Amino acid sequence: MSMKDVIVFIEHTGGTPRRVALEIASKAREVASALDGGVHAVVLGKDANAIAESLKAYPVDKIHVAEDPEVDAYVVDPQVDYLEAVAKAVGPALILVPNTMIGRDVGSRVAARLGAGLSADVVELNVADGRVNCVSPKLGGLTITTCAFKSDYGVATVRPNAFKVAQGGGSGEIVQLAKPAGKTYAMKVDEEVVEAAGELGVEESSVVVSGGRGVGGPEPFKTILKDLADALGGSVGASRAAVDAGWIPHSHQVGQTGKTISPQLYIAVGISGAIQHKVGMRTSATIVAINKDGSVPIGEFADLLVVGDLFGIVPELTKALKATATTHA
Amino acid sequence: MKILVTVKLVPDTNADKRIDPTTKRLVRTGVETVLNPFDEYALEAALQLKEKVGGDSTVTVVTMAPETGKEVVRKALAMGADDAVMIGDPGCEGSDVYGTAYALAAAIKKNGFDIVLCGTQSTDAITGELPGALAEFLGVPGLTYVRKFDVEGTTLKAERETDSGYLKVTVSLPALVSVTKSINEPRYPSLKGIMGAKKKTIAPLSLGDLGLDRPIGEAGAKTELVALADPPPRGKGKVVEAADAAAGARTIVEFLREKKLI
Repeated sequence: MSMKDVIVFIEHTGGTPRRVALEIASKAREVASALDGGVHAVVLGKDANAIAESLKAYPVDKIHVAEDPEVDAYVVDPQVDYLEAVAKAVGPALILVPNTMIGRDVGSRVAARLGAGLSADVVELNVADGRVNCVSPKLGGLTITTCAFKSDYGVATVRPNAFKVAQGGGSGEIVQLAKPAGKTYAMKVDEEVVEAAGELGVEESSVVVSGGRGVGGPEPFKTILKDLADALGGSVGASRAAVDAGWIPHSHQVGQTGKTISPQLYIAVGISGAIQHKVGMRTSATIVAINKDGSVPIGEFADLLVVGDLFGIVPELTKALKATATTHA
Repeated sequence: MKILVTVKLVPDTNADKRIDPTTKRLVRTGVETVLNPFDEYALEAALQLKEKVGGDSTVTVVTMAPETGKEVVRKALAMGADDAVMIGDPGCEGSDVYGTAYALAAAIKKNGFDIVLCGTQSTDAITGELPGALAEFLGVPGLTYVRKFDVEGTTLKAERETDSGYLKVTVSLPALVSVTKSINEPRYPSLKGIMGAKKKTIAPLSLGDLGLDRPIGEAGAKTELVALADPPPRGKGKVVEAADAAAGARTIVEFLREKKLI
């Protein structure tokens, strides 16, 4: 049997879908049209009903909802059960999940259950001769692979910022899901601790301002880099050197032992651009570097390298950007 | 307590890797094979757990790797693992996440376990999908992205990282836990450890030994490679010496405007 429909797992936070979820729902429409099928969205847990209503504005046909408190009371398992149930009811389908800390968990598990192929970190999807092709950078962007599924179901974890959000174009019918029968859950959430409320992670931001060894300590991450990131509506990243020095938590690390990202704009501040950092950010659309040394490796692949004192340039840049924003307003 | 750690052998993280344009495979010449750096954190967590629980606790390393990887596995033994199980069957070649997780699960079940520790991801594939699939095939809870955990009896309390902070989670063993870099600082093998590792057992397992009910390797893969392409070239851009801070900032603003990014 070949795939027909596309099922989108809607990851959400604070009562709204994550942007990446809307990006994949939008791309799902294109893929489903090529397969002559429909787009199903799955929304689970806290605020699911309200989020389902808001999804009517996006190109989805059926919105499967379960505002079940167990989804938030336990880690991942209830989500996998619901998604598996939707997949089995829909039949052979492409399942799209965000390539995020939650999406990777949900995707890998549901793929194992359905005997489905898994394509990770997908940045492009197309349909040829009725088959879905998934395009992913591999080995840190060293090569670009195109993979097809050999299974009835296929799961793709999709990288944030790969697709544009589209509105309208779906029938938006809401369907309440029945609770999967006979399940007991083991990984109990005792407490959720929020350290950075409302901030997008480096994986999802369209602008990332990263600091490296040249930044010299923890302080600039909270001040000049944070201010610049805020002025651009982006988030703060870091190189391995900065994380290993304990200047900023590991969740901000970009590179081979951190996150692989493709923002629209990547600003590398005081980062030399060694290979292990390069593989994490070389697929960024535009790369700007600020470094006191004009011969650093990042100069070989940055679109612009400004040689100078980062402690002077970064605050000046923030100031200039704020002035630009005011002039345009 | 039976503690199992999955490890993968990967090309050296610091090597500048390239793809051979004719064979379309990774050029391995001159690139050293190492333990996946993420797995060293899992191994360290395993060793610390063994030290804490004591008794007749053991740490066993499980890997899928060709015979040539044996010396790399020995590094894990030198760090302090008690023994290793190596699925070194040529039939494993071409395995995807599904097949790898399925075979590893069979090897782990055959060995028996109370806890399985994994690294978050590998530095070559970077999919981060193995721990979840492995937990499914083992039929146990799988808690990923753990930055801290503590075991009392059969109760495990952990902190699972999220994009905005962390979750405090409680789970009963047996379970699978994947750990992040924040959890510890992996130890270096001591000279005594290196000498001792030579006498430790690396038990080879064939796919036949595992009695799998489905093919793995290329035959069992659920995905197939259709095409391989070079990434769009990323050449050297402009290099501008900033006369002063304001001039540097101006250069960037103009560039961003040109690119329509502001």
